[in-house]
Amino acid sequence: MSEYLDRYGRAKSVCHRLPPRLKLLLSLAAITIGMLIPPAHWPAHGSLLCVLFAALSLARIPFRFVARRLAGFLLVVLMFGITVPLSQGFRGGWEMMAGIVFRGIESFLAGLWLVNVIPFDQLLSTLRHSGAPAILLAILAFMYRFVFVLWDELDKMRTARRARSFDRGGAIFRWRNAAQMIGMLLIRALGRSERVYGAMCARGWDGKLRTLDE
Amino acid sequence: MTPAAADAVLEVNGLSYAYPNGRRALQDVSFSLARGEIVGIVGPSGAGKSTLLLHLNGLLPQRPQNGIPSSNGAAVRVNGLSVGGEHLAEVRRLVGFLFQDPDDQLFCPTVREDVAFGPLNLGLARADVESRIVESLAAVRLEGYERRSTLQLSLGERKRVCLAGVLACHPLILALDEPFSNLDPRARRTLIDVLRRFEGCQIIATHDLDLVAELCTRVLVLDEGKLRADGPTATILSDCGLMDRHGLEVPLRLQQKGGDCGRTDS
Repeated sequence: MSEYLDRYGRAKSVCHRLPPRLKLLLSLAAITIGMLIPPAHWPAHGSLLCVLFAALSLARIPFRFVARRLAGFLLVVLMFGITVPLSQGFRGGWEMMAGIVFRGIESFLAGLWLVNVIPFDQLLSTLRHSGAPAILLAILAFMYRFVFVLWDELDKMRTARRARSFDRGGAIFRWRNAAQMIGMLLIRALGRSERVYGAMCARGWDGKLRTLDE
Repeated sequence: MTPAAADAVLEVNGLSYAYPNGRRALQDVSFSLARGEIVGIVGPSGAGKSTLLLHLNGLLPQRPQNGIPSSNGAAVRVNGLSVGGEHLAEVRRLVGFLFQDPDDQLFCPTVREDVAFGPLNLGLARADVESRIVESLAAVRLEGYERRSTLQLSLGERKRVCLAGVLACHPLILALDEPFSNLDPRARRTLIDVLRRFEGCQIIATHDLDLVAELCTRVLVLDEGKLRADGPTATILSDCGLMDRHGLEVPLRLQQKGGDCGRTDS
């Protein structure tokens, strides 16, 4: 699970050999361009997507790996995106929704490319040297560390549920179970956060972030 | 067996604690530890072992309940300093706490950064921090692991990195909460060897009684939040009646030496 997003961060390719700061700039540039292209300019969005897929291919990141992560991301974006035509009216709403989805995909692919051409600790170090706020970096570091721990907990709960659900079907049954699991996960996450805070205090944490790169 | 107060590096006097839901976790617990002593805390699950350890470096908040403090920080003194208030930072440096679940303790992306967390918070110079990283990883036999991701370590390695992070602060006392749980025999043996080389005081809360028999010189039996027994390891652990009353079993190595406790299991 720990390699879910950045499995190819330490692989070797032309993209991996680029200077870390250039990788960061290229990724940010792709996200910015995607945001600046007006929603209805589909050829421009299409061209940017082609460039991003070419960059992913150049970095030797398998298409299947990208497609699976993109599918998960699309599910979430569409879930929120669908509220736009419902609230703004269908004629203009669909276009606005398509714009949100396209920009989301472009940003996601640019981010996916970045974390797969540079190991995460080096990415944090590059961000730090580029002047990113320390608190943002601390949040990113914690998120990277604990999203996988929580995912593993969710995985264990899913396995335990499967072991005792006896293939009992029904969408309502499954959705109810999923909601219960998400609730439990939130409670566990809260417990985990308290324990982690205790562990930080035990090693002298006083609210000020200090790093080796300072 | 209890050391005189003058020699004690840790003194616990009449410590009581209740959780916010009102459950009494500790009731009038008193003991002290002398320099270099290795003490095991044993007892059934829910006896208050972890709660006791959490008090040693002030990790449990002292919430007043109906005007009465749920625990008394002054009841715990480390190297003469009361836990809490102005001494809290120094007490936390003196008492190195190893949590049961290494995922609670490893919060940095790389091993190097995680081991450096404590020394950086102590305000040490960069060169000193670097030397402590190398020294601590060598102490836990993980030389060369500096650049490894904390996500890609085995459970045994994660526990040892946690211990390196604690050792890097040069503690006087190690408080270890179930350090050997879920470890395979090789990882367990490695960790035992690492702990043997630590020259300070150790207080180990564990269900692994064979380990207590091997490593500890003294044992405290805790049950329902009360200290039920305190004495030399061999005496306590081979007392069949005492062990049975508190949901424990005489370790195998002592059963072989001291009889079978009258068991007639078929």
